[in-house]
Amino acid sequence: MAVAESLVTFGQSQGTDEIEVSIMDGLEFSVDVRLGKIESLVEAGSRYLGLRVIKDNKTAYATSSDLNTDTLKRLVKNAIRRAELSNTDECAGLPIPKSGAIDIPNLNIYDPEISELDTDKKITLALETERIALSDKRITNSHGASFETKEINSVLANSHGFVHEYKETFCSLSVGIQAGDTDSKVEDYWSCTERHFRTLDPPEKVGKKAVARTVRQLNPRKIKTQVVPVIFEPTMTTWLLGFLFACISGVAVYQKLSFISDKLGEKIGNEHITVYDDGQLPGKLGTRPYDSEGVPTQKTSVIERGTLKNFLCNTYAAKKLNLPSTGNADGASVGPNNFFLQPGDKSPEDIIQKTDKGLILIRTIGHGLNPVTGDISRGAFGLWVENGEIAYPVSEITIAGNLGTILNQIEEKGNDLEFRSAICGPTVKIRELTIAGK
Amino acid sequence: MNRTDSMPFEDHFSMSSGDLQKILNIALSQGGNFSEIFLEYRVYSSINMEEDIIKETSENILLGAGIRVVYGDQTGYGYTNDLSLEKVTRAALTASSIAKGPPSQKSLPFRSAPVIPNYYPILHPAQDESLENKISLVKATYQSAFKFDRKIKKVKVSFTDQTRYITIANSKGQNLSDVQPLAKMTCLCIAEKANKREAGFSGGGGRVGLEYFAKDLTPEKIGEEAAQEATSLLEAIQPPAGEMPVVLSPGHSGVLIHEAVGHLLEADFIRKKTSIFWNKMGQRVGSEQIFIYDDPTIPFFRGSYNIDDEGTVPKKKPLVEGGKLVGLLQDRLSARLMNKPLTGHGRRQDYTCIPVPRMSNTYIAEGEYDPEEIIKSVNKGFYADKFQGGQVEDSGKFTFSVSSGFLIENGKLTAPVKQATLIGTNIDILQKIDKVGSDLTFGLQTGTCGKEGQAAPVTDGCPTLKVAKMTVGGFK
Repeated sequence: MAVAESLVTFGQSQGTDEIEVSIMDGLEFSVDVRLGKIESLVEAGSRYLGLRVIKDNKTAYATSSDLNTDTLKRLVKNAIRRAELSNTDECAGLPIPKSGAIDIPNLNIYDPEISELDTDKKITLALETERIALSDKRITNSHGASFETKEINSVLANSHGFVHEYKETFCSLSVGIQAGDTDSKVEDYWSCTERHFRTLDPPEKVGKKAVARTVRQLNPRKIKTQVVPVIFEPTMTTWLLGFLFACISGVAVYQKLSFISDKLGEKIGNEHITVYDDGQLPGKLGTRPYDSEGVPTQKTSVIERGTLKNFLCNTYAAKKLNLPSTGNADGASVGPNNFFLQPGDKSPEDIIQKTDKGLILIRTIGHGLNPVTGDISRGAFGLWVENGEIAYPVSEITIAGNLGTILNQIEEKGNDLEFRSAICGPTVKIRELTIAGK
Repeated sequence: MNRTDSMPFEDHFSMSSGDLQKILNIALSQGGNFSEIFLEYRVYSSINMEEDIIKETSENILLGAGIRVVYGDQTGYGYTNDLSLEKVTRAALTASSIAKGPPSQKSLPFRSAPVIPNYYPILHPAQDESLENKISLVKATYQSAFKFDRKIKKVKVSFTDQTRYITIANSKGQNLSDVQPLAKMTCLCIAEKANKREAGFSGGGGRVGLEYFAKDLTPEKIGEEAAQEATSLLEAIQPPAGEMPVVLSPGHSGVLIHEAVGHLLEADFIRKKTSIFWNKMGQRVGSEQIFIYDDPTIPFFRGSYNIDDEGTVPKKKPLVEGGKLVGLLQDRLSARLMNKPLTGHGRRQDYTCIPVPRMSNTYIAEGEYDPEEIIKSVNKGFYADKFQGGQVEDSGKFTFSVSSGFLIENGKLTAPVKQATLIGTNIDILQKIDKVGSDLTFGLQTGTCGKEGQAAPVTDGCPTLKVAKMTVGGFK
């Protein structure tokens, strides 16, 4: 905290109007195991500094992993000089801190147990997860299993008197496997990430889930090109919401890089679509007391029963759009806190049973997302559904659609929302999408 | 640049050869076959222009050391961005914990570094150039995009450049350094007409100096290309869906080779038998017309390097010849475990990462067909022009995202098409490539490949290719 504060003071003494300094201290541990042996073990501590200066409404940034005082002072001086070469931008500027307490402990994002975990125990978790996955006879090879932890301390100070720091932790357990013979292999993985070690899924659960996800793809068929209802599993809804996030990010909106940039206040989806961004949910992966500029996080209603209510903004995008900042700053861009689609009340089994003919989307690969148009085109893997039952796996297909259309075609929502990542959603059923195959 | 001195960067790293030896021996203090220290100092900067103004600039420094100990097939790794002897020693001890026993060997004394060719003999390193000069290049790109057509409503230009100083010392007596420049200009345009909005992209660069943007690829050309793509997409129709003949454009389609072949010939995937190619070395997997190479020694290319991130001097590597699998991309660990020679493909994103086998500049060599004739030979099909990227799985299943293309009707390119996905399995597609063009071209010098969370600059290329039948993902 002292380094950040003294650099802010130094910047002010050098004549900048505003200065912001952030320092991140991280402790990382990871162990990768494969076929019952340690493949690699990494342990390290590191420190990074980022700074922004604004002079005469002109902005310059710098970052460094060299924390030598002379280097940092040089970077501040250079940044002030470089700011002169930027153009005047009325919207440039740091947020003015609001009064009111910042509650860090109740967010429950730090687990002291993580730094005390015994190395052998961490290795055993990874080994055990892989062993359970490989104990299934259908599994023919392993990409390996990993156990990782991270402990991060973030300090933020700026020339408006904001000085705070908070600690957070993450731990995760994952495994990737293959099933089938060399020329007809299928593969998948499963992972669990949590803030707290005690809530992490045990090896048994992670390993078995990876097996189930992999073997269900064995002996896939190709299908004809057609238009059918498509059920998105939660991981796929999460993927779709990631694309939605890119389109409602205030930065994309003011840059007109989003197909919904001029749709605020309008209906962009049907009544099933209610989306929130909430940075205050205790213990969740996207939770943080304030964003990277020190703006407190909040619960923001993004879409309410289909109506676009808010774009998610950092201070700059908010000024550009003449909207409030929503506490979503992430460096110079915008990032999600906990960004999720409100779940429904149907079980996923129920949704499948009521589908005569359609596809359950289980994985996609490739790029093929265009926020400017909302167009989606991806390689896909799925399970074919006939008469309410899973009939067989399908591969070598693509799905094509448009996010704007999809938001109006979600006709059922599952009750299976789990906060497995900062962006997440439940099972959803979409009335129709084009699937290209044979 | 003074690349071959054994310790040219003492200013940045303040570690003597003696210090390095000491660290390498500490790393071997609990046993192990090999220890290595990787020192990196990288300065990089960026300029962003949008909404008619230079919005911001940045200056960045990355400094750190990574220490690796290999014990059999196991790797211990520690890193630090504090280069005090105390912290580096601690990282070495962390790495050493992978081995459990008494020291079995000592680090060898450093040999003098070999004289190696310089594949980036640049005149004006971008890092030494004034910010004003770089800003004027950015403005020229920006303006040329806007001037191209009134339908261009938004332009975003960014220029980034870096100089990466690396030193690699290991217990086998190697102590090598390199200075790797890299520059990149990109331009993104949005065109609007009625209620339609489309994006276009272009860019270029490589391990080049600013002279490249004066003679090889001008800012004007970058701006125009991006604007051209955005405006022509306004007229584009949705792609067809289903299986059909596909012609792949020269240059941009190189991403297909990178994904469908290159990744699956990275030695770690072969050694672990996860790649579909693991048991097919020496076998025919594709059409006889196919010759694929990975070459880190192409001057000024984005994927080139004088030494890889393990200190190996690289060579051009044949991967496929006449449709037969003939070579792999090796890093130090896989080469030793497989008992094969090093190829110089051990790369890492930065000092925090363990090196893995990676591609550099990957391409299909030219064939004998006239590109015009190839298009003429297709009655009804799809022409894939520009790509957003691709992805492959070890099983060989891949996809490519086509940002713009054309319909082929009666041997001619007709309607422009947007946002299609190509999907297939690599061996199947390699066998179905029935015509290889004579027009080898390389794609934009802007590509970055991701593997295990590590980013690496790469280039890829190919001539015009015809695939007899491939699944195109679209709407109709």
